[in-house]
Amino acid sequence: MRTDPDLAHAAAKGSEAAFAELVRRHQARVRGMARRLTGSQAQGDDIAQMTFLAAWQKIGAYAGGTFSAWICTICWREFLQWRRRQKMEIAFDETAEVIPFDRPFDRSASQTEDRMDLARVLDSLTEAQRVCVVLCVAAGLSHREAAEATGWPLGTVKSHVLRGVAHLRTCLASADVA
Amino acid sequence: MRDEENYGDLARLFAAEDAKLEAAPFTAGVMKRVRRQALIRQLTVGAFGFLGAVIALLQLPELLSAFVGVDHTVTSALALARTEINEAATSNPMWLAIIIGASLSIAAISMTERA
Repeated sequence: MRTDPDLAHAAAKGSEAAFAELVRRHQARVRGMARRLTGSQAQGDDIAQMTFLAAWQKIGAYAGGTFSAWICTICWREFLQWRRRQKMEIAFDETAEVIPFDRPFDRSASQTEDRMDLARVLDSLTEAQRVCVVLCVAAGLSHREAAEATGWPLGTVKSHVLRGVAHLRTCLASADVA
Repeated sequence: MRDEENYGDLARLFAAEDAKLEAAPFTAGVMKRVRRQALIRQLTVGAFGFLGAVIALLQLPELLSAFVGVDHTVTSALALARTEINEAATSNPMWLAIIIGASLSIAAISMTERA
């Protein structure tokens, strides 16, 4: 099986088939990340599409390394652009205890059993914790990769992940008990 | 132990949720937009290229007529230069030596200079 860097190299030379294979491999991770960041399936999928279109245009700039980290960084930037377009940009507050911007929570999706627990618990995190948990736990980026993607200090990312994960565990455990 | 290894169970929960997303329709949608973008780019570049070619073709007669003038000027300048060099060499052979020296120096620099 061809590796991601091989496929990216072929895509940079104009191979649509190679790029389609990359999309097939990474779509779940990117869509999951975008859906969790936006809180909406439709908007998450739109952002994921924009992410792959941007990746196709910038594929020549991919300089090796983890392809998933590269594509997730693009997804994060697309999410920030989407948020700016939504005119919901607010000053980032690391100490905030409540979600500082109103996410368009997808009611129809929340009613499905699969999404219920994880989506609800993610929504109870602060924005910074949710972003760090989505990037590191759900999308599988390392703390360093998440810090590079967001531009936040490594220590900040680590502490948000730690607190977010602890909160997730507590909430999921109490849901199991109930 | 890496910090990332402390939440493998949660990562598996998220991964299981993501694995349920159907790849085929999404991939087809992305590739459709990729092809559309490429088509638009090709059409734009092609249209501008065609426009440029038409403008260039329209300028061709004027360019050719100007080239005849330029060609005549260059030829006459070369002929004049040769005459002047001959005159300079006969009046003072030192000029010829200076010109040869300068030409050799320029040739040596051009050959040893890297791009």
